Amino acid sequence: MSNMEIRFGGSGGQGLILSGRLLFQAFVDAGKHAAQSQSYEPTSRGGFCNADLVVSEGDVDYPLVSSIDYLVLLDQIGVAPSAAMIKPGALVLIDSRLVPAPPVGDFTLHQAPFTDEAIALGSHRAANVVALGSLVALSGICDRETVAAAVRAGTPKAFLDLNLVALQRGFEIADAMEAVDTIAKVVQL
Amino acid sequence: MNEMKTKAGGGNFEVRDYLRLDLMPHFMCPGCGHGIALRALLWAVHELGIDKDNLAIVSGIGCSGRVGAYIDANTYHVTHGRPLAFATGLKLARPDLKVIVITGDGDCLAIGGNHLIHACRRNLDITCLMLNNEVYGMTGGQVSPTTAENRLTTTTPSGNSEPAFDACKLAEAAGAGLVGREVTMQTPALRNLIKAGLEFDGFSFLEVMSDCTEIYGRKNDLGESAEMIMAQKSDMRPQAYTTITDQPFRPNRLVTGVLAQSDRPEYGATYRRQAAALRGETA
Amino acid sequence: MTATLQNLHGNHACAMGAIAAGCRFFAGYPITPSSEIAERMSRELPLVGGTFVQMEDEIASIAAVLGASSGGIKSMTATSGPGFSLKQENIGLAAAAEIPCVIANVMRGGPSTGTPTRPAQGDIMQARWGSHGDRPVIALTPASVKEVYDQTIRAFNLSERYRTPVILLFDQVISHLLEPIQLADMASLELVDRQWATGSSAEFAPYASTESGVPPMPRPGDGYRTHTTGLTHGEDGFPSQEPTIVTQATQRLLDKIENHRDDIEAYECHDTDDAEVLVVAYGISARAARAAVREARAMGIAAGLFRPITVWPFPEDALKAAAANAKAILVPEMNAGQLRLEIERLCGSDVKVEGLNRIDGQPIDPAQVTQQIRELADK
Repeated sequence: MSNMEIRFGGSGGQGLILSGRLLFQAFVDAGKHAAQSQSYEPTSRGGFCNADLVVSEGDVDYPLVSSIDYLVLLDQIGVAPSAAMIKPGALVLIDSRLVPAPPVGDFTLHQAPFTDEAIALGSHRAANVVALGSLVALSGICDRETVAAAVRAGTPKAFLDLNLVALQRGFEIADAMEAVDTIAKVVQL
Repeated sequence: MNEMKTKAGGGNFEVRDYLRLDLMPHFMCPGCGHGIALRALLWAVHELGIDKDNLAIVSGIGCSGRVGAYIDANTYHVTHGRPLAFATGLKLARPDLKVIVITGDGDCLAIGGNHLIHACRRNLDITCLMLNNEVYGMTGGQVSPTTAENRLTTTTPSGNSEPAFDACKLAEAAGAGLVGREVTMQTPALRNLIKAGLEFDGFSFLEVMSDCTEIYGRKNDLGESAEMIMAQKSDMRPQAYTTITDQPFRPNRLVTGVLAQSDRPEYGATYRRQAAALRGETA
Repeated sequence: MTATLQNLHGNHACAMGAIAAGCRFFAGYPITPSSEIAERMSRELPLVGGTFVQMEDEIASIAAVLGASSGGIKSMTATSGPGFSLKQENIGLAAAAEIPCVIANVMRGGPSTGTPTRPAQGDIMQARWGSHGDRPVIALTPASVKEVYDQTIRAFNLSERYRTPVILLFDQVISHLLEPIQLADMASLELVDRQWATGSSAEFAPYASTESGVPPMPRPGDGYRTHTTGLTHGEDGFPSQEPTIVTQATQRLLDKIENHRDDIEAYECHDTDDAEVLVVAYGISARAARAAVREARAMGIAAGLFRPITVWPFPEDALKAAAANAKAILVPEMNAGQLRLEIERLCGSDVKVEGLNRIDGQPIDPAQVTQQIRELADK
């Protein structure tokens, strides 16, 4: 039984753990088995931070990622710890402004200005949810409505409106990527 | 009829009613002031009518730490320096118990110094009796945080060059609800001070000027017990005399009595009130 | 209350397990990566009539726990390596004075301050030998969030039944791992309360030997007025250095654990019956080992996993049975080879015992274990 491995990587303070938790909830709600782990540096802000998910149809034997199927990178600092773990054929999303030197390899790379999009919506803090929306929309790993329900259930009240808008924006960015195919899509083989 | 005497201050004070007589003879050296402090404590317990069954004595390590075992109550002899921390847990878990800590200058001010300042700050309803004999007696007479300057100890062979703590000032500054000091020679006054501490709703820190005749006294040629106690007496003046001109014939080294008192809220009650509010209970 | 499904981090599962077990006192000090246990307890305890206190340091935390437990309340603390080191003297007091308590140690890299946010399994031997002198010890090593919850409950039960400190050892990965778990059905949950002293106080000997080896505990306020001390003491609770009394007192402490191994030991066997390569792993490393053993089996290698859940006392007989057909034993652990020493002691004369050790703050992954199983199988 093969697992699906997902990582949100970047810098501490970008809300990566929340993205991971929301997606975890969406998978659990969809009846999947999942485990979400985190690795981080001692600084609360600024060091690298990874929020990882392992999703399985059955019990999750080993709950940590080692061969990543879906990777979201919101900061350059997240590239080094993850680059060697990207599975051939994986889907990788990067923040086009904050990850100037993306990983290179046998996978599909999409880029979009997630953080700038979030700033335009009202706060850079919502970049994690914009990216989450794009990941879900591009990959189809779970229903949009399931992840929206998870956002509604798992977001602190003060950020709920913003996060719902951010998630929607993430969907739209992804849809635009598919439609145009060249806006922000870089395929490197 | 012994039982009657232990109840609610009934009858005359008989120290034997509060001691584990099976353990006699006790371990204390002839002339040690700790026995007087023990008597004064039990006298206060008697006069306040504290039920021995609900009395918990927590002590640490050292001569002071061994004193508690002689008391016919719930006695806990814990690790060095930690009786205040242990007592904090005991009192929070069992607010119905009367919790008294018996500690020493090394136990309380050196290895346990951190616990003292935080017990003062927290202001939980515990009475801390610090028996200050200015030395580590049980380990053979090493310098302590209250050893006077120039005194000889086994680890200050040329005389102590470190300044001593004023434990009462420390306790007051750290926020203890009630702070007091007394010498053993004035046993009734010591009893009264301990009563004040036991009746106070909060953390009371009481320093008892004890004396170590056998080790510290001999090493420094301070004479026998009576002479050491008299020396304390001559160093002392009641707090009522606030300036040196009140009693010009006495130096100002040892101020005694209740030295500080505040009405800061008792921590345990505050915590329980908050918790009850969280549970939606009214006080 | 019915059983409910919750998504919990390991640290929160520990706190919720403690609450379910009847823990009503927690004293702690902030330390990565265990702080969420204290944070959760600070929220949960007041709701159930319990008490949380953040003490001034690690030593004060365990001392306060011993005080609260002496008062009759189920109590725990939580920490990580540096704090676990500081608590050792009072863990010894808990063992000697037979004060029940639970200590969760969320392991991080050491020595010293080490790697605070990285996982490790370097405190296995400290849990066994960290406090001076001969003393009993029970240590449990849960490997999942669900098991953190269940083993925390079990830690309290064992602690109460045997009047001894129980140590929970898990690591940074599990502490911050989010997994869905089934909370206990409180109605059917088996909870153990220590046996309290009853009857006449006149001739009561607080440390008298009993059939179980565990004396009933006098509760302050119940009229026994006994003495509790970390000095070696006779049956009356008062200190003694008389050789026969010292021997009896120390031996009883050791025997009360040794004689109840059947109840205390817990372990899991996967495919061990015919295993030629036996993997012995605990905690998060056992999760990698389980995946690796599955993969090795798929390759046709007779591999098996023996997973101690109770790591101290080590389930010796069960290991020997699981290793009956083994020609090699592999011990993957995130330290330089601590439990391997114990496995060598138990099985080393009959079979080759190899370590798979990481000391870089990275978890062991299944591929590494599979690789080494293959090498051992080929030899």
